[in-house]
Amino acid sequence: MFILIFVLFSVLLLGFISWQSNAQIQRQQANDISREVRALVRIDRNQGFPAVIYAIERLSSQPGPGVYYLTDLVGQRIGGNINEVPVEVLRDAGFHSFTYARPRAIDEGDDTVPLGNAIVQTVKLESGLTLVVGRDVVERRGFTAIVVDGFLWGVLGILVFSLIAGVLTSMRVLNRIDSITSTANAIMAGSLSERVPVTKRNDEFDALATSLNQMLDRIEALMQGLKEVTDNVAHDLKTPLTRLRNKAESALRDSSNGTVQREALETTITESEKLIKTFNALLMIARAEAGAPSGALAEVDLSTVAGDVAELYGPVAEEAGLVLDTKVTEGVKIHGNRELLGQALVNLIENALKYFEPQPGHDGKITIGVRAEGGRVLIEVSDNGPGIPEADRERVVERFVRLDSSRTEPGSGLGLSLVAAVARLHRGSFRLEDNVPGVRAVMDLPAG
Amino acid sequence: MKILLIEDDREAASYLIQALDESGHVTHHAADGETGYAMASGMDYDVLIVDRMLPRRDGLSIVEALRGEDNNTPVLILSALGEVDDRVTGLRAGGDDYLVKPYAFTELLARVEVLARRSSPAEAATSFEVGGLLLDRLSRKVERNGETILLQPREFRLLEYLMKNAGKVVTRTMLLENVWDYHFDPQTNVIDVHMSRLRGKIDKGYANPLLHTIRGAGYMIRE
Repeated sequence: MFILIFVLFSVLLLGFISWQSNAQIQRQQANDISREVRALVRIDRNQGFPAVIYAIERLSSQPGPGVYYLTDLVGQRIGGNINEVPVEVLRDAGFHSFTYARPRAIDEGDDTVPLGNAIVQTVKLESGLTLVVGRDVVERRGFTAIVVDGFLWGVLGILVFSLIAGVLTSMRVLNRIDSITSTANAIMAGSLSERVPVTKRNDEFDALATSLNQMLDRIEALMQGLKEVTDNVAHDLKTPLTRLRNKAESALRDSSNGTVQREALETTITESEKLIKTFNALLMIARAEAGAPSGALAEVDLSTVAGDVAELYGPVAEEAGLVLDTKVTEGVKIHGNRELLGQALVNLIENALKYFEPQPGHDGKITIGVRAEGGRVLIEVSDNGPGIPEADRERVVERFVRLDSSRTEPGSGLGLSLVAAVARLHRGSFRLEDNVPGVRAVMDLPAG
Repeated sequence: MKILLIEDDREAASYLIQALDESGHVTHHAADGETGYAMASGMDYDVLIVDRMLPRRDGLSIVEALRGEDNNTPVLILSALGEVDDRVTGLRAGGDDYLVKPYAFTELLARVEVLARRSSPAEAATSFEVGGLLLDRLSRKVERNGETILLQPREFRLLEYLMKNAGKVVTRTMLLENVWDYHFDPQTNVIDVHMSRLRGKIDKGYANPLLHTIRGAGYMIRE
């Protein structure tokens, strides 16, 4: 297709060039002829006809494309280098073009009479003679032929070269695309860890392959996460569900005592409420990790949220023998989800409350901090409780992970995972630091 | 109270009808959206309980259509969708309250009873009085038997909400929603601690307490 277009354009260009050069040469020849005619007319006027005859004689004897023919008053040839000129050329003054028999050179042995084409100008001299001056156009044709020839070879060369280059390029491109296709097929067949090969050429294909691989990494991580969630849901929801069922069954069997059944029913309700809470927490994490629709994000005054939550939890902390303190910079704002940020802060405070161990001579203290720092917004909840061993800090953020020492405490084990998910939803991160003593939980979010 | 329940799940509906009946309310039931809309616009009800996802016509469009006809019957929307934005769309469509499934019946009952009072003059009243306890919404002053009680701003809002719904059960989540504007389930007893502080301020030293804890449901203020 492209080659066809290329050829078409080449031919058009060739035609245009030869037409242009033809016209140019034609103009040039006409100019030469006119100049010669003017010179001869001047000679005729100033020096008389013998001088013209002599000039023609001289011009005719020179080799070249010049064509000359001179007649007397009655039309008899008296000079020139051609033998015959058509009658109408002689009769009418002006430019003509005709075919003529070229006079044979003396040393040429063959008998053929070469024919020539000529452009001529006919002019009646003052002395009464008729003069025909012209140029053979074979020379011109020859030039055009050279141009056309050269051009044709050039076009042919370009065609062959571009064909080879095209085939080579498309072979390379197809090879690369094939490798991407086969990777995609392998992944669809279930081998999620396949990756598109990246060459060292560092071209656009490698950029594409790298992006595809990053996308595949993300998908694999998500799939892995999904699998973990399903496993955990299976474990952490099935266990209490089984317990619920067992309790109901045993109450049903023990039909003698009404109060036993009543108690069993009450535990059933409490257990199912716990289940609902776990389920809600899981859903919330899933939603936060999937990324909330932009409609749910609005400008949130974090300082106000922190103040509200501190005010909400202050009395509970006091009741538990702790002081809930705030170190909040006024007017720290972020584009986010107020409910989720509030929930995250609540989870952090509840965690700090849950793991606080009252000791004599040691005043428990929880500090809520909100501050902006160089394009980041930091939300911190620090305590001076028992702390978390460094080795466990990464692990406790995962879903359902509860340190063995806290298995007996109530809770779903999802609190910190939700905080981490909320931080990720706001394009930030969540980490646990040592507060010597105690834990400092930090949500590190980009401002704005 | 006359209630219309539009809910397609037969089991849930029959349970709710029975429970509402035991609480002394008359409940009509519609099992799909079109029937529900026809009943709601044709008869007078005190409260409508509308499931969000219904066959033939969805719950939100029913509420929107009713509001378009200047029908201002209070509406409680029931939904399995519990995200903040789901709640916002529900309330924007004209719902007065939004309850996420699964819910406890006590929670639903408390909300329905509070909703029924929405249209009563209490909503716009400038002061409330319960058994000698007086709350003035304009001067933001509280006194009992003439003695001024000093409250924190949040305690004032708590008491205001309770007194506005005097004689009705108010659940912990309702308090968290209306006084703090958060919609999660409090894990610990945060609300209880606030309530016991409020009780200490308004009931301490009086023989007849006004603030009552309703076991398994929430709180109520009454004489």
